Amino acid sequence: MAAFDELQKHYHQRDLAARQWKKEGGKVVGYFCDNVPEEFILAAGLFPLRLSGDPWGDAERAGPYSEQGNVFSREGFVASMLHMILNGKYDFLDYLIIPHARDSIHRLYTTLINLKETESALKLPELYYLDNLHTNFYSAGIYNRDRWLALKKQLEEWIGKEITNERLSQAIAVTNESKRLLKELADLRVADPSLVAGVDALQIIGSSMFMPKKEHNKLLKEYLAGAGHLPVRNGARLFIEGSPLDNLQLYEIIESCRATVVAEDNCWGNRNFDVPIDMSADPVDAVIDRYNNKAPCSRMYPLSCRVEYCLRSALESEAQGVIFSIYRFDEIQAWETPDEIKAFKENGIPALYLKDQPYLITEPEALKTNIEEFVQGI
Amino acid sequence: MSEQSGDKQLRITNEVRAYQREWIEKTRQRVSEGEPFAICNGDDCEEILNVMDIPVIVINYWHAIITTKRMADYYLDILRERDYPATVFSMGLAVTMDNKPDMAPWGGLPKPSIIIGGARQDTEMRIMELWAREYGCTFWPMEFALWHGVERVPPPGWFERVRDHWDELVDPYKLDYRVQDHEKLIRYLEVSTGKKFSMAKLTEAMELVNKQMDYWRMARDLIAKTSPCPASLRDQLSMYQVMWHRGTPQGRDFLKAYYEEVKERVETGTAACPDEKIRLMWVNALGTPPRWGKWAEEKYGAVCVTHNYMGIAVDCYARTIKNNDPLRTLAARYMLLFWTTPDWIAAQAKHSNCQAIVMVAGRGTIAAYEKTGVPLAAIPSERDDEATRAALSDFIETRLLS
Ligand code: SF4
Repeated sequence: MAAFDELQKHYHQRDLAARQWKKEGGKVVGYFCDNVPEEFILAAGLFPLRLSGDPWGDAERAGPYSEQGNVFSREGFVASMLHMILNGKYDFLDYLIIPHARDSIHRLYTTLINLKETESALKLPELYYLDNLHTNFYSAGIYNRDRWLALKKQLEEWIGKEITNERLSQAIAVTNESKRLLKELADLRVADPSLVAGVDALQIIGSSMFMPKKEHNKLLKEYLAGAGHLPVRNGARLFIEGSPLDNLQLYEIIESCRATVVAEDNCWGNRNFDVPIDMSADPVDAVIDRYNNKAPCSRMYPLSCRVEYCLRSALESEAQGVIFSIYRFDEIQAWETPDEIKAFKENGIPALYLKDQPYLITEPEALKTNIEEFVQGI
Repeated sequence: MSEQSGDKQLRITNEVRAYQREWIEKTRQRVSEGEPFAICNGDDCEEILNVMDIPVIVINYWHAIITTKRMADYYLDILRERDYPATVFSMGLAVTMDNKPDMAPWGGLPKPSIIIGGARQDTEMRIMELWAREYGCTFWPMEFALWHGVERVPPPGWFERVRDHWDELVDPYKLDYRVQDHEKLIRYLEVSTGKKFSMAKLTEAMELVNKQMDYWRMARDLIAKTSPCPASLRDQLSMYQVMWHRGTPQGRDFLKAYYEEVKERVETGTAACPDEKIRLMWVNALGTPPRWGKWAEEKYGAVCVTHNYMGIAVDCYARTIKNNDPLRTLAARYMLLFWTTPDWIAAQAKHSNCQAIVMVAGRGTIAAYEKTGVPLAAIPSERDDEATRAALSDFIETRLLS
């Protein structure tokens, strides 16, 4: 399928579209995590590019800043991202928005602002810290709202003009279309029998963060139009919970064990596009509401919002088993896991807990044996 | 108990220890009579709770007690058994999960009515939420936490400005929200405990904090200019537990007594380590004396005379109340206590006439400290082992003695 090949290409060459955009005179805004409102960036006429790491690349440049305990916790994931920023892999970024997500992401920010002061030779984009709170209370929403409005203002300053409601509504229409199409993809995955491999799904979802949304929508539509010809997938239906997966290693191993990942709770997977934006409301309010109410990252309080989201997503996917894959030092993810495993047990769903996982899987065989055993037991 | 030779323990440290034991017993008694009791993280709400006469134990202090009683491994295992990350910050939760008062230090804590936690670290809110669940008490999440208040590079010399010019260092819009956070908490405490909050009492408490820290500074300054050092680092650090009673007359009186005892030692020429030849500053996160301290003293006469915690006490807690608003002033301190910057650590080392700073450090840190002009002895870990001793010997022999 030509459409899939194109999407796959962008998943693997993550800076391709952004560099092209830049060459054509556009400006690129890098960001981390899934809580930076890309609608504002799109409406400003800028290219939003989510930054990721590279498990096969090194993290040497991050070394001096990751000493003293696990400064860039979550194994190599965040160190890898920092390394890529420092070694010029993202030298085409004009701006970089860093949200107040987990500690490791916050430390990326403090490291970078310090470096900006001390190492003038380093070419770093203009940095913007997007604060937000880690509870879902009404009052936290008010604070977050002010921060998102401040971001909008900053974007307006960068482009030298106002972001009109009309432009914003157009951007929302595009991202909502993207969310709707990705939901269709999710439905193909949870169909019985499942029609899309998790490995393919991760690439399709991921590429939406690396290429122009409209182009992505067009390709995805083509892909979905041909879905009738997709071969059915047999084997165990699995749900994956755990640390951020910005690469395919784990799914490749799992799906080589006669299993299909039918859904996941991950900011690089289904969690990224879960909640659409209300098109009938004021566009600024609607964007803010969406980001206040989107599916929670593990750092969020209360625990019940995480456990419920995880359980509900797994039940809806009719998964027969759940694999938890948690990076070493990803403590906040590990803290919620016992409650989630318990909830699955109560629902008669078996779980496999892979603790202390490395960012780069260096012993795939051992992991495969472990997963095969689990799949056979289902 | 001492790991430093020649060290004569300060009388005050025993008084403090005795007071702490008495305090926990009294608190247990009060709780059994139906009074409220709170658990919070260090530097989160203590003054407010103290002003409201709600006894509070600070989680870091409780963890220090667990560690001192050599129970850390036991409780870390309790966490591992339950598939939770075994971290120091969750030991208190482990004590509660284990639910064996006979095993627990102090026979365990009385049941709290509230546990307050914030977003200082990813896991803090979660751990304290689970802890409250384990106790079956209220969990109160604070939206804003220490170090949340600042999105900028620490300005050079910030430590000289933080007492009087804190308003220039903390982002005002965040502070607005943190103040609201406190108002909500105070309301909740008033409703749930029937206790009262008073601005006048908070002002008084803030002034007591300032006084307490002034005595601390006076004692530190005496220690800084007296060689051989009059008070062991262990004694200096053990005064830190008074920090958890700050804003009370008792807290102030303890520091006054400490200062007076140090002064008496200076006047009588009493030294903690009479053979002092080299003065060092020890830096670590837990505020514990170096395990290799005794070895370094015996081998080189190298004495750790100060610690970054002393700098925290002296430079970072006192705040001048602005606009007659003690709550806002205090909230600002709960958002910014300190930054561990090389210029600040080096300033402390210089002030205490230290020839070097010792800490666990890697490339990046060493490079940053080189610029301060105070040599940094980087050791591979906090353990007192071959590797640490070799690194220290090498540093002392090549950099300080040659
Ligand atoms: S899990 Fe949360 S903090 Fe981590 S990358 Fe995803 S959104 Fe960011």
